[in-house]
Amino acid sequence: MSSTTGVGVDPISFEVIRNALIAATDEMVLALKRSAYSTNIKTRSDFSTCFFDRDLRAIAQGFAQPVHLGSMVQQTPRAIRTYGPENIAEGDMIITNDPYPSGVHLNDVTLIAPVYHEGVLLGYVANIAHHVDVGGGAPASIGAFREVFQEGVIIPPVKIVREGKIVQDIFKLVLSQIRSKHETAGDLRAQVAANNTGVRRITELAARHGSDLLLRTMDELVLYTERRARAELAKLPHGVYECEGFVDTDGYTDETVYLRAKVELRPDGVHFDFAGCDPQRRAPVNATYAMTYSACAYAVKCLLDPDTPVNDGFYRLLSLDAPPGTVANCTWPAPVVGGWETQTRLVEIIFKALIPSMPDQLPAGTKGMMAQAGFGSLDIEAGKYTCFYDTFAGGYGGRHASDGPDAVQAHGQNTENAPIEETELNYPVRIVGLSLVENSDGPGTFRGGLGLRKDYLFDRHTTFTVLADRDKAGPWGAFGGQSGLKAEYVVIRNGEEIRLNAKSTVELEPGDIVSCRTCGGGGYGPAEKRDPERVVRDVREGKVSAERARDIYRVAVDLSSGRAELDEAATRDLRRTA
Amino acid sequence: MSVRLAIDIGGTFTDATLIDEETGKVSIAKVLSTPFDPSVGFMAATERILTDSGVLAGDVRFVVHGTTVATNAIIEGKVARGGFITTDGFRDLLEIARQTRPSLYDTQFEKTPPLVPRDRALTVIERLGPGGEVLKPLDDASVREAAARLRAEGVEAVAVCLLHAYINPAHEKRVGEILAEELPGIPISLSSEVAPEFREYLRASTTVINSAIRPVVGRYLENIEKRLAEAGVTAELLVMQSSGGVFTSGAAARKPVFMVESGPAAGVIASANLGSQLGYPDILSFDMGGTTAKVGLIQKGSPSITKDYSVGSHAGGAVGGQSLSGYPVRTPVIDLVEIGAGGGSIAWVDSGGLLRVGPRSAGADPGPVCYRRGGTDPTVTDANVVLGRLNPTYFLGGEIGLDIEGARNAIQEKLAGPLGLDVLEAANGIVEIANAAMVNALHLISVQRGYDPRDFVLVAFGGAGPVHANALARDAEMPTLLIPASPGIFSATGLLGTDLKRDASATLMRRFDELNAPEIEESFRALEEAGAAELASEGMPREQIAFIRQIDMRYVGQSYELTIPLPQGAFDGSQTPELLARFHAEHDRTYGFAAPAEATECVSLRLTTVGKIAKPPLRPLDETGITATPKEHRQVYFAEAGGFVETPIYDRYRLTAGAVFDGPAIVEEFDSTIVVHPHYTVTVDTYGNLIIRKGNS
Repeated sequence: MSSTTGVGVDPISFEVIRNALIAATDEMVLALKRSAYSTNIKTRSDFSTCFFDRDLRAIAQGFAQPVHLGSMVQQTPRAIRTYGPENIAEGDMIITNDPYPSGVHLNDVTLIAPVYHEGVLLGYVANIAHHVDVGGGAPASIGAFREVFQEGVIIPPVKIVREGKIVQDIFKLVLSQIRSKHETAGDLRAQVAANNTGVRRITELAARHGSDLLLRTMDELVLYTERRARAELAKLPHGVYECEGFVDTDGYTDETVYLRAKVELRPDGVHFDFAGCDPQRRAPVNATYAMTYSACAYAVKCLLDPDTPVNDGFYRLLSLDAPPGTVANCTWPAPVVGGWETQTRLVEIIFKALIPSMPDQLPAGTKGMMAQAGFGSLDIEAGKYTCFYDTFAGGYGGRHASDGPDAVQAHGQNTENAPIEETELNYPVRIVGLSLVENSDGPGTFRGGLGLRKDYLFDRHTTFTVLADRDKAGPWGAFGGQSGLKAEYVVIRNGEEIRLNAKSTVELEPGDIVSCRTCGGGGYGPAEKRDPERVVRDVREGKVSAERARDIYRVAVDLSSGRAELDEAATRDLRRTA
Repeated sequence: MSVRLAIDIGGTFTDATLIDEETGKVSIAKVLSTPFDPSVGFMAATERILTDSGVLAGDVRFVVHGTTVATNAIIEGKVARGGFITTDGFRDLLEIARQTRPSLYDTQFEKTPPLVPRDRALTVIERLGPGGEVLKPLDDASVREAAARLRAEGVEAVAVCLLHAYINPAHEKRVGEILAEELPGIPISLSSEVAPEFREYLRASTTVINSAIRPVVGRYLENIEKRLAEAGVTAELLVMQSSGGVFTSGAAARKPVFMVESGPAAGVIASANLGSQLGYPDILSFDMGGTTAKVGLIQKGSPSITKDYSVGSHAGGAVGGQSLSGYPVRTPVIDLVEIGAGGGSIAWVDSGGLLRVGPRSAGADPGPVCYRRGGTDPTVTDANVVLGRLNPTYFLGGEIGLDIEGARNAIQEKLAGPLGLDVLEAANGIVEIANAAMVNALHLISVQRGYDPRDFVLVAFGGAGPVHANALARDAEMPTLLIPASPGIFSATGLLGTDLKRDASATLMRRFDELNAPEIEESFRALEEAGAAELASEGMPREQIAFIRQIDMRYVGQSYELTIPLPQGAFDGSQTPELLARFHAEHDRTYGFAAPAEATECVSLRLTTVGKIAKPPLRPLDETGITATPKEHRQVYFAEAGGFVETPIYDRYRLTAGAVFDGPAIVEEFDSTIVVHPHYTVTVDTYGNLIIRKGNS
């Protein structure tokens, strides 16, 4: 049979095996989600899976979270090389969360297992999952720390499973550093189960098609992906684009952290340069190289046909310069827990650089932060330390033909919210409200989405951490659109609101409420060009007030019937004088 | 004489099936569906089949109906102008939903719009705690105020979902009473009655869907009952549920969310029933039509059921089979893996030079190239025609003449040429890629859930299923393939053998080491009494009512539960060790590990009340004889035989019980074609089912 492929894989077998590889990483996703213990993994899906070939090239990925795109392909190969592939036998698994060199934050723990068939190494399966607590200076292991050592247990690549059995010495050593041991133990077992699922599926593929054909198909898959990605890159507006931006505060001080990105779109690849980003801080805003890389990979993936696969053939078209010692590529022992805040803002800056040339493809400013919260409280009698972790959605930016959706995750993050009933049942807290933040939209022809408000009430002494941003300025508007409303984090004590720094840990008294109100998205196009009917619908739904409709959107809304209706004549007048 | 009548309304055809309760004789009729008013097609099919089979309207003992009216209402946005009431502080439950986006890299995505917009989402003052305790009593005045606003908004239906109502329904019940007073005639759906399960958004979503489709489904069923009565059919109208049982049209009108997936359920039930009658308890069902293929799993005679399901979702957003788009539903649904591989799936070459099949489908209109209805994109059906597997002059019994040249040219021009393959290689490639996708689906429903497909019998039906089934059985190493009689209408026969079924559950969060046996027994008794009373009120004799008790369990700290059947007999605590053993074993099978040292907990009790309906007997073939005589021969392509092979073509209606013949072979019937590969043998059983196994006779 003739073939279009270079290494002698017929196109039929190729498509068959390609789909089976994707199915294998997807099955790992399901296995992890279903058997995990923590709300963060089982309900919020804060994890991803990947298969690497024996040359440590990424071949297939099963995503729940795009932030893991790119970061896994940096961290996993490095961990294997550090440990030495020759030291990892069939039935073993490696565990690591070490940020240096080039991992991510300590909460994200990776487990890696080799895949052997009839004594031949085929590659490695890996999964990364965000653990609610990994020890360190505050419950949920998030906070305004000054060194990585304060952030929790650091696990260099070591063996967590040997010959199919959990290595108890390591398991116990790790667990002893951790507050919520029960959940973490369950989650680690679920990660082991997910890798076992992946190993089983890949070895079955080898048994069915033969190791030789399987390995050749992987080679071809990478080449195929590169062809697809190059065909897509050829369609982009080639050139060099630059933009500046910032993270509102570094968290230890109130100082702004300045970021800078240069993006070069070429037919044969995309190059990023982050020279000009601030030096790293002794504060929680430092992104590791792997985090920054994942921002670049995510941004480029958004520009391509969504059907384009992601593997080494895609990654090899990306290159980046991120000067060591900056917040875009921090060095040991800088703290890294808030690095994702910087990472997601880098995506914003890349988009902002490109949007003038790609107005139909990119949104105005989005939430652009991870907006994390964690808390913990100790029940001394039960000897139990409970830790909770959640992230908040915010407004998405307006687009060329549609509003930014309300209260939704952005960019690398797509974690679900923790259900109220599940939270109240399992954690010592009551949620007193969950709502949209009215009038938080960034005005525009297509407005930004609304932010979200979630209020937690505690009946006992609790340590609470917010690790977020956007409380100095809301997300940017595009093409004459305006910024979204900025975020706000407060403690309500005895009816009084006390402002919290966006990155801070606070000791709560019984009866205290923590209220997190995230930002709205930026608007797209001038507000006074917004379709009046859309404005009326927003007023009717209570998302935008009639005053705001009049003053910002220049639309007169008649409320006299009890139901918002457009006053056409008055609107014409308003818009004429605008 | 007494007969049962089943009407299954699909996108293109409305199928009627009628079975004689004594002899098991089955009649079928097919009419075109009438989407503008499905009851027109419903009655046309009813009248056609009664006339054709010479049955009097008065002889019909009951009518079973499978319909997509509920799903279509949501997909087409034909939903009621609804209101939503929840706890003060949580008005935006539906707006915020799960705060996720349906696709990860699409910057132009949209969140699924709430079925009730924010101006009709209201709150009442009350609050329960996670144990069901009252933290703030219900303020009646706030309910009346909300009712007044909904009245002013002219709502047609109201959904109520208060926090923690799954464990204490008192406040919801009171809200329901007040709304009934304030909004007479408006249907009210309470979350504690529709889906009493924890996790507020999933429960609210289920309740809102129920509420949104109540008026349209209610009107639809009422209309059908009226027309049936006019035609002299006074028998009870039963409706298929997503979980496989039937319920009365009255119950269906109150809880239509239980029938959102009623269509595909019938095929799985038909497979389970046939398997039970033939002694095959473990089955993978494979249903392939024009646009999709669906596989289901039946273990020990029972279809596997899931509650992870979304309605109105689009295919692209699924991660590991779980969809982030659409509206989640938490009512029991027969677990199906559905993929975009049907006869009409389009084959294409992507920008990387790779041959791909689906997910785009040519559907029924314009359809495959060979249908001559203007289709220009080559499809799976076109490939099968080019390979000689489908008979160009006997498709749907010859109603449609297939254009083999057109199919060949399309494959040559759009696929073979660009790929540098010859046209047969390309056609065979299309079929192999589609087959591989279906084998992945078979794996997903079995291996992923811890089952080995080699332990199962493959039952294949739907118009296109039997064309591909032998290859799937080969690639999934399944030893036995069963093709039922009339595969094209097999699903409809599932409607005829379905029991009356009612699913109920009660949340009971208890650690197993603190479990109170009398409390469990009491809860089950209460559920049983309610279930039995309901079925009895629908005319089911008490002695035909049975109960299936199950417990949702998990390790303390997990939040996905496994449903474990309770050992027989009244629960007195002595069964606990057996129950725990079953749980650990099931956990190990499902997830690859068990942690017997860990504490376990009960989350909810599940009761299925079954009103047994006698299965119609299978009807033996009239004639027996071991020889099968082909009606003709033609050239059919089999890659494993190196190309075209002179292949005998059999007429299924002339096969006799006990006949045995070898592949390669093609068996043709009115609504399907069975492809038998080389090195496989067909045996015709007593009832005309084809059993296909590896090896030569």
